[in-house]
Amino acid sequence: MSSSQAVKDTAKKLVNLLEKCPKDRIPHLVSFKDVQMARFRRVAGLPNVDDKGKSIKERKPSLDEIKSIINRTSGPLGLSKEMLAKIQNKVVDEKFTEESINEQVRALSTIMSNKFRNYYDVGDKLYKPAGNPYYYQRLIDAVDGKKKENFFTAMRTVIFGK
Amino acid sequence: MSINRFTSSPLPALLKKASFSYRGAYLHQTNVFTQNKGAASDSPELLAKSSHLNSKPLDISKKAPVKTAQNKIPLAHSKYESSKYELPKWKEALGELVIRTFRLDMDRVRAGPVAGSYYYKICKEQGLQYEDEPLSETAKYFYEDLKLPRTFSQWFQITILHEWMLFVRMRAMPFKYGRNYQQKLVDRTFSDIELRLFEEMKVNSGRIADQYLKDFNTQLRGAIFAYDEGFATDDATLATAVWRNLFGGRKNIDMLHLESVMRYIHSQLYVLSRLSDREFSTGKFKFVPPGVKVEKLTPKQEEELKAKTVAKYKALDKDPRTLPSERSKLSYTN
Repeated sequence: MSSSQAVKDTAKKLVNLLEKCPKDRIPHLVSFKDVQMARFRRVAGLPNVDDKGKSIKERKPSLDEIKSIINRTSGPLGLSKEMLAKIQNKVVDEKFTEESINEQVRALSTIMSNKFRNYYDVGDKLYKPAGNPYYYQRLIDAVDGKKKENFFTAMRTVIFGK
Repeated sequence: MSINRFTSSPLPALLKKASFSYRGAYLHQTNVFTQNKGAASDSPELLAKSSHLNSKPLDISKKAPVKTAQNKIPLAHSKYESSKYELPKWKEALGELVIRTFRLDMDRVRAGPVAGSYYYKICKEQGLQYEDEPLSETAKYFYEDLKLPRTFSQWFQITILHEWMLFVRMRAMPFKYGRNYQQKLVDRTFSDIELRLFEEMKVNSGRIADQYLKDFNTQLRGAIFAYDEGFATDDATLATAVWRNLFGGRKNIDMLHLESVMRYIHSQLYVLSRLSDREFSTGKFKFVPPGVKVEKLTPKQEEELKAKTVAKYKALDKDPRTLPSERSKLSYTN
């Protein structure tokens, strides 16, 4: 098996691992899972898919579009050369070796298996802090939508702080 | 003067004594990683260094480097915070008299010098960098090993990560005191940032500085919420929060760097969880440097550590010579 094929296979493993990542409980500007899935799908040579499972084609701008962009202003879209260089730097084509991609898989699976959380167990002293024992429980309940704050519990928090 | 007098004069003595050693919880001085360099996943720093990905920092052209201002804001704003300052004896005696007569709650009073000054200082130091000065050891971990951009807002992110770890411990103190400690730490953070914006980042307009401060406030709230959520659930969520905040959501993140930060966070929290309220509230904590592995305590060591702490503070509380300002009602057994 050639090494590039090995990299692709490992990247597929990584994508599978990322799929098991929990979804963000509340939507953020960027989602770790989605961004990294897209990144490693490209490495694995898999097509990128949207929510419904349809593949998204990476559409490149046509020649006419590029011409119109360049002609519109002196600098394309008013961007300076520096800025363009920066954008190009940002979307680098990543080159993984077998070694580096194996490391990525190992690191991600360590994170997903809660290795350090279990090893450095802090116990109920910090998970149910004495000063505010239900702090984390309330936070998670609110995020999951299990228990909604009503007016009175909200006022209680405002007045007493917990 | 007894050895344990470190809260009598407000700060100078405290800062000196605060550079303590960890005894048990910090049995890191084992030679594991000096002897065995092959097993490169021992400390967070080695873990981050072991990556072969060679990713580059996102912001290569430093757009807004932190310049060393001529009037650089020192870590200590006032003379009372300087390690060289000593309170005149008569002031000290007067202070003790006031505390005794009005029965001041020293646990409350101490929040200022401990959380506002000392704990803010150690949080600030972690990521502090100036363009034309060599990086400190911990700053090297963040800027060179984790390849974060050397900017002011990155420094802020590193600082709030450390502040959050202290918040987690502060929540475990009695509510009244823990809340006060948190408040003092946040207050000091923003007053310091305001000064730094004007003096070091050369922001001339008060309106713009206010906008930055509001922005930093939003970042702080968002980050604390995300870290809390991750702390209460699982490492995958916590890593996502770290990626979004500390790493600014960069696309080509090196997973090893994330893993290294997870190790860093959990080892700090472990050390924090082994400290009693009394020790923590009197400023007996400092962050474990990233180049160091935190060894877990065996149950026996843990017991010994506890017994030692209890014996120490029992003696301190019984001793009639203990000054009113050194007394505390916080528990030393938990």
